Amino acid sequence: LRKEHPILRLSALKGAKVTLDGGASTALIDLVIDLAAGDYPSVIHVLIADEDGTRRALPPPNRIDAHGVRVAAAARGEVVTEDALARMVLLRRDVMDALVVDLKDLRIVRVNDLLLQSVGDGWALTAADISPWAVVRRLTRGLIGRDVADDVLDWQQVEFLRGDPHAAAADRDYHRRVARLQPTQIARLTDGLPYMHAAELLTILPDPLAADVLEAMLPERQAQVITELGSGQAARLIAEMATDQAADLLGHLELDEATNLLDAVPPERARLIADLLRFPADSAGGIMTNEVVIAPVAGTVAEVLQHIRPALARPDFVYFVYLVDDEQARHLRGVVTLRDLNLADPETPVEQIMRADLLTVGALESALDTAHAVSDHALNALPVVAPDGALLGIVTLDKAMAQILPEAWRDRMPRVFS
Amino acid sequence: LQFAPSRRPSLDPGLRVVIRGRPMRLRRLRKPPTGMLWFAAILGPGLVAANAGNDAGGIATYASVGAKYGYDLLWMMLLITFSLAIVQEMAARLGAATGRGLLDLVRERYGIGWTLFAVIVVLLANGGVTISEFVGIGAALELFGVSQWLSVPVAAAAMWWLVVKGSYRRVEKLFLAMTLVFFAYPVAAILARPDWGEVARHTVVPTVHFNADYLLLFVATVGTTITPYMQLFQQSAVVEKGVARRYYGAERWDAYIGAGFSNLIAAFIVIATAATLHVAGQTDVESAADAAQALAPVAGQYASALFGVGLLGASLLAAGVLPLATAYSVSEAFGFRKGVNLDFRRAPMFVGLFTTLLVLGALVALIPGLPVFTLLIAIQTLNGVLLPVILIFILRLINDRRLVGDLANGRVYNVLAWGTTIMLIGLVALLLANTALDAAGIDLFGGGA
Repeated sequence: LRKEHPILRLSALKGAKVTLDGGASTALIDLVIDLAAGDYPSVIHVLIADEDGTRRALPPPNRIDAHGVRVAAAARGEVVTEDALARMVLLRRDVMDALVVDLKDLRIVRVNDLLLQSVGDGWALTAADISPWAVVRRLTRGLIGRDVADDVLDWQQVEFLRGDPHAAAADRDYHRRVARLQPTQIARLTDGLPYMHAAELLTILPDPLAADVLEAMLPERQAQVITELGSGQAARLIAEMATDQAADLLGHLELDEATNLLDAVPPERARLIADLLRFPADSAGGIMTNEVVIAPVAGTVAEVLQHIRPALARPDFVYFVYLVDDEQARHLRGVVTLRDLNLADPETPVEQIMRADLLTVGALESALDTAHAVSDHALNALPVVAPDGALLGIVTLDKAMAQILPEAWRDRMPRVFS
Repeated sequence: LQFAPSRRPSLDPGLRVVIRGRPMRLRRLRKPPTGMLWFAAILGPGLVAANAGNDAGGIATYASVGAKYGYDLLWMMLLITFSLAIVQEMAARLGAATGRGLLDLVRERYGIGWTLFAVIVVLLANGGVTISEFVGIGAALELFGVSQWLSVPVAAAAMWWLVVKGSYRRVEKLFLAMTLVFFAYPVAAILARPDWGEVARHTVVPTVHFNADYLLLFVATVGTTITPYMQLFQQSAVVEKGVARRYYGAERWDAYIGAGFSNLIAAFIVIATAATLHVAGQTDVESAADAAQALAPVAGQYASALFGVGLLGASLLAAGVLPLATAYSVSEAFGFRKGVNLDFRRAPMFVGLFTTLLVLGALVALIPGLPVFTLLIAIQTLNGVLLPVILIFILRLINDRRLVGDLANGRVYNVLAWGTTIMLIGLVALLLANTALDAAGIDLFGGGA
């Protein structure tokens, strides 16, 4: 927004005429912008109508002021099909009065007016007026109004959404500036959006970020939003999420939707998620995660470090390494921390530095009792084992806290261990 | 060392599903609810929204209908149940399809001018109902000997404090529990031993009186049964419940059942009043004490107390929610900052609007010498007059396929819904014409009152 350039409000163009080169004039229907064109979307077409209502697109305007729009073209432009019209972004139809994301103050605001400015050789959308005064100004046709510069939102700070989750899949343009925010910030922003907009926002984010945002959303919101994602993207996000988070989400969905999605997830992720879904939600198995780093107990510290290297590549939190007799049977023998492994002499057998007297819990024990055990014993993670002693997963401190804490606190709780 | 808790959850057999050709039993997936669980899962916003119609104004109108015309208007209660079901279902569907409130959609689709118009209609309708709730609070506590000069200002101040301090949700359940008293109406209706053959006949055979009073009560009954705020509430409650458009199908029964249930209670209010007051020759209900007599068959000398508790609960419930919901949707439409945890400096429009509605509602209710029941019925009539505006907005939006996709209205639905709207517009036009001619000294109904 350059203050020195003259500013024209879109509301001032109410009832404006479009004048062509030959002097012929016709009513202005709308202005078409190109959302992908840099920080400030430029006006790329002037839309007019024939007598029978057919829409025609003229070249960009070379003058816009309160008296009207001038276009340097003699002919009446090209006919725009209904289909093409639906794909375009029109200032009056789509952007004016819409809900947009304010990236500066991280909130959802309504566009009360739009500011156009001449930039370079054309005209561009430079800001949205979100002040109540803009409403008064429009309702009184500009008679009463006050310019409150504080409430003008520079378009660089705006993410415009169409309210149509399928728009992004259809390759429409977006700024995707919202992708610069933290996943939790985006998730809190979506709380204030209608769910169609929230789903659309997920579709314009890269998958890893979208998966993190989805994880940070409230469970009801997740279940609602996922129904509006394409099945391809929904399955990709579920595969990308932590397995316990993915299982929680699937547990909130309708049965056929959950099984369809699970079917579409890559087999190795689907197996991990399905393993969690075997246990009732109110059992230890129902709140555990099975993304656990394991290593054979019969080895030296160096061998264990070498063994777990690929597992550490995943960006999840890892602190404990669980030692098992055999990677198929997974009978739990002990635990060792990453710090112990790094501080110990590489040639020491890992059995000598591990803790073998572990507290464990059966997968079908009550979730609440398990959670209390985690907090009572001040554990960071409690291993969950099968009756034969095989390691199934771990209940982490934050999952345990989520069981114990009042509901209102859970949403705000940072996730540390999963 | 195995940690062994005392209590083991009983093991559910789980659901048999096949994932990638592998059959497995999963215990954590949601079972599709059946039987009573199905009802518990879907009942909610629709039931609350429709039953909100049985508030102070509703009770006043139904009691007047029963006292004045006996069972004569029962046929329209039956017809209007279908209209209510259709209207509430459309509002619910609009909410599920878009995830947005009505004024929000009006703003985005029809621009600022239409939004202003819709906001004025909503403010008039909801402002009127807010007045009627305070009238209800005053009238209810007068039954217990508390002066309205004390009860109304105290209630308004308490309501403001509860909502702004964010503890309204906690007392809401108490108010809701108080309205359960109105279940006494079906009991009273049965104990009053009405002529059930007569009741049945009047439910299916229309009885029409050609006079202005009848027309007024007719529009008032429509206005209180299908109040504009019920549609606004239904739509935003569905949005809040988080219903996705793909799973909307079962939700519509919530709206249908809610409409049926609330009108059943309303019909019992009419029957109870008709079987007690009307047969006794008391055809005018002018105060809460009069209306309370309909509960005499069930409560005897405690009828007033019972009626008072129910009226107080219903009025308090709406007196807080209505100004709040109104301020919320108006702020949403205009893009004002909103939220109950914001103070006046940060959200002046929102807090200002909420406070103004509350204060105005209480002040008007306190005007000395106000004919209580006449005022309540006038407010319901105003709601009936404004209803077509809201219905037309809903109908336009629910037929906009670019917005709602395949959740748009079918043809039968459109015929029924537009039919209701046009019939209502006709009634309102007749009422307005009669009022205008009356003022000019011409009696449209040939002196039939």
